[in-house]
Amino acid sequence: MLSHRDENTQRIAALDEQAEALKLKPGLGLADARARYPSIDVVEGEPEADRRLLEALADWCDRYTPLVAIDGKDGLLLDITGCAHLFRGEEVLREDILLRLSDQGFDARPGLASTPGAAWAAARMGLPPVAAGEEATALANLPLAALRIDPATRISLESVGLRTIGSILAAPRAPLVRRFGAELILRLDQALGRVEEAITPRLPVASLSAERHFPEPISRTEDVERLVPMLAASLKEDLERRGEGARRLQLALFRVDSAVSRISVGTSRPVREPNLISRLFRERFAVLGNTIDAGYGFDLARLAVLSTAQFEDTQTDLAGSATDLAEDLALFADRIRARLGEHALTRPVLRESHIPEEAFYNLAFAEAASPKTIEMEERPPERFTPSERPIRLFTPAEPIEVTAVEVPEGPPLRFGWRRAVHHVIYSEGPERIAPEWWRDSKAAPIRDYFRIEDEQGRRYWLFREGLYGASEISPRWFMQGLFA
Amino acid sequence: MATHAVARETVFALRREIAKLEGRLPEQLGPLACPGEATVLRRSGNVLRAGVLATGVEGLDRKLGGGLPKAALTEIHGAETRHAGAVAGFALALASLILKASAKGLPLLWVGTSEIFHEAGHPYAPGLARDFGIAPEALLFSEAPKLLDALWVAEEAARLPALSAVFLELRGNPEKLDLTATRRLHHRAQQAGRPVFLIRQAAEAEPTAAPVRLVVAPGLAAPRLTLAGPLSGSIGAPAFKVSVSRSPTALSGAFVVEWNSHELSFRERPQNTRHLVSLSWPGEDLATASGSILAFPPVADAAAPGAQPSRREHAAHRSSRRAS
Repeated sequence: MLSHRDENTQRIAALDEQAEALKLKPGLGLADARARYPSIDVVEGEPEADRRLLEALADWCDRYTPLVAIDGKDGLLLDITGCAHLFRGEEVLREDILLRLSDQGFDARPGLASTPGAAWAAARMGLPPVAAGEEATALANLPLAALRIDPATRISLESVGLRTIGSILAAPRAPLVRRFGAELILRLDQALGRVEEAITPRLPVASLSAERHFPEPISRTEDVERLVPMLAASLKEDLERRGEGARRLQLALFRVDSAVSRISVGTSRPVREPNLISRLFRERFAVLGNTIDAGYGFDLARLAVLSTAQFEDTQTDLAGSATDLAEDLALFADRIRARLGEHALTRPVLRESHIPEEAFYNLAFAEAASPKTIEMEERPPERFTPSERPIRLFTPAEPIEVTAVEVPEGPPLRFGWRRAVHHVIYSEGPERIAPEWWRDSKAAPIRDYFRIEDEQGRRYWLFREGLYGASEISPRWFMQGLFA
Repeated sequence: MATHAVARETVFALRREIAKLEGRLPEQLGPLACPGEATVLRRSGNVLRAGVLATGVEGLDRKLGGGLPKAALTEIHGAETRHAGAVAGFALALASLILKASAKGLPLLWVGTSEIFHEAGHPYAPGLARDFGIAPEALLFSEAPKLLDALWVAEEAARLPALSAVFLELRGNPEKLDLTATRRLHHRAQQAGRPVFLIRQAAEAEPTAAPVRLVVAPGLAAPRLTLAGPLSGSIGAPAFKVSVSRSPTALSGAFVVEWNSHELSFRERPQNTRHLVSLSWPGEDLATASGSILAFPPVADAAAPGAQPSRREHAAHRSSRRAS
């Protein structure tokens, strides 16, 4: 038995069969229940865990239709339009869902109808499947709780004697709307199919997908790997017909016990060749390794194309050896990305900023490949700046200890960096870089940069933050970069 | 040439024989009599010739047997992580020469572990553009969390002809970077016909498959040249002390080269540039002949024409210090 806290009272939230047999009811105070049956076992409810379970179940139901919505705290809504024939009819599909759910220990109550409202009522009131067009007769004898209206409306309707859906259907509509609001009639019309109601799927619906059922569950990674090119091959034809290539693909593996693993890969240019797609997935598998828990095996695999882009067909020569270098590079980038993540391969982009560490950033290769992501305001500045810039940069700059300075505003004579003392032989500077007040309102201290050469010819870029004597805080020194 | 053809056939047969005995590829053995034809690649029916890259420093090129092999793994070592700027700078200068020679505009990939990018600083695109003329669009960075990932990326990249050069930067002497791993890199570089540079910071020399190993240390920069002569106290063009630790010719040598970032070219340091102006620095200015880490005993070649005499032999004004 589960309890929950409601208005400062522990109340019964849900019951198992044994407790139901004791004629306990949800909503009953826990103190009352204990008084009647001192031996009952009460567990505090966890709404969060319930929601997660329901979501996992919704993911699993993805095997029947891509349009799965979560309905309230305890319901799932599946739009099986156009899917039923894949399971040899609606009846068989319903039986299949029930059987598989009961195998997993769920007691599910199905409702099958041609409108979401009627199906909702059928599931909660235990009706047999409602055929299209017969919603009114099927629902007529049901109590008002079968309509999805709020309890206050229901109670006031019952207080005037309207206790069944049939009685509302028979009553004139205008006074009902005036007195009970438009929601009642909307729910009624939705249940009867007079008003269209769309269900909101939990996951985005893929534009293309290919799937494969296995009578005998598969569990070895090699088998899964071998599966990808087969699925990709069946996608290729559809992609070709649309003149598109896949930019993002997802492989969903449905485990027998209702867990779903989803593995996705992205590409920097549209692909449709099965062997390329399977190479990308092979990299993913190489990283994921044993983290994909096959459990008792997968009995359904689906490869879905989540996003597509226009595919430009190119003519190859007769020998078929016209290899495009840029294409090679894109594939290489995709494989790195599949294995090491989005930012494993980057391209530097210059930015207009005087602050050295702000003057460039690393853009992921996939984004850099499509030129539109580089915004106009981040137009690269002129390539050759007049002042010297290091070839390696420390971000953030590393603090150093300056033990001797020639003149207060001058370069250091000695400094300690990474537990070693460096003697300055030559220095150039300062190059003063003032904070960019038009970017951030915070008043950052002024930086004076020095180019330093030590006794062995190592060239460094140091800066002093702040001025001597300008404020209470004495200036600090930092190592910013290394020169060639 | 007709008479030579038979002779060359014999030479090639002998080289193959030697290569088989040594268990190496014939291309690695050393330069032929005719430089520039050391490596001949065949791919899909086309013969690609990837010869050598002349660095422009005469002595260095001769020690390397005509220049740096273009389709090979080249090791560039630095003794300390603090030298990372100079070591990377020298490798970038070589890459810049390659980019200048090939007008295809293929990108350069720089692979490094997170460790080295943190320890030695992340490559800074504005500086690379300024000093080496490598545009940010021609640069790709790959920061791998672990050594094995970096090796994997580099190996995959090494076989890609769509890159102009691959840099693999690592720190220390990891066990995973053994003869097999470097041989794989070298072989793929040969197949793709472009160089792979293995930049090793703070590493000891150890047996690898790379035909060339250069040890780079920073050199004191000459002062900037102005119309009124050298500007005292300024820091001019970057200088590198390069010693050839392993080469196809088995000759060793040490050079001080300067990089001209305007003309994008190397030149050997002319004598006595800095020290006419200033003598205030202590210490050595040439790398000591690094005999202990050589794969071959250094060949005495002081008499070779063009070889650089040590500065101590030359600088008359420093005779007082030499006595000390």
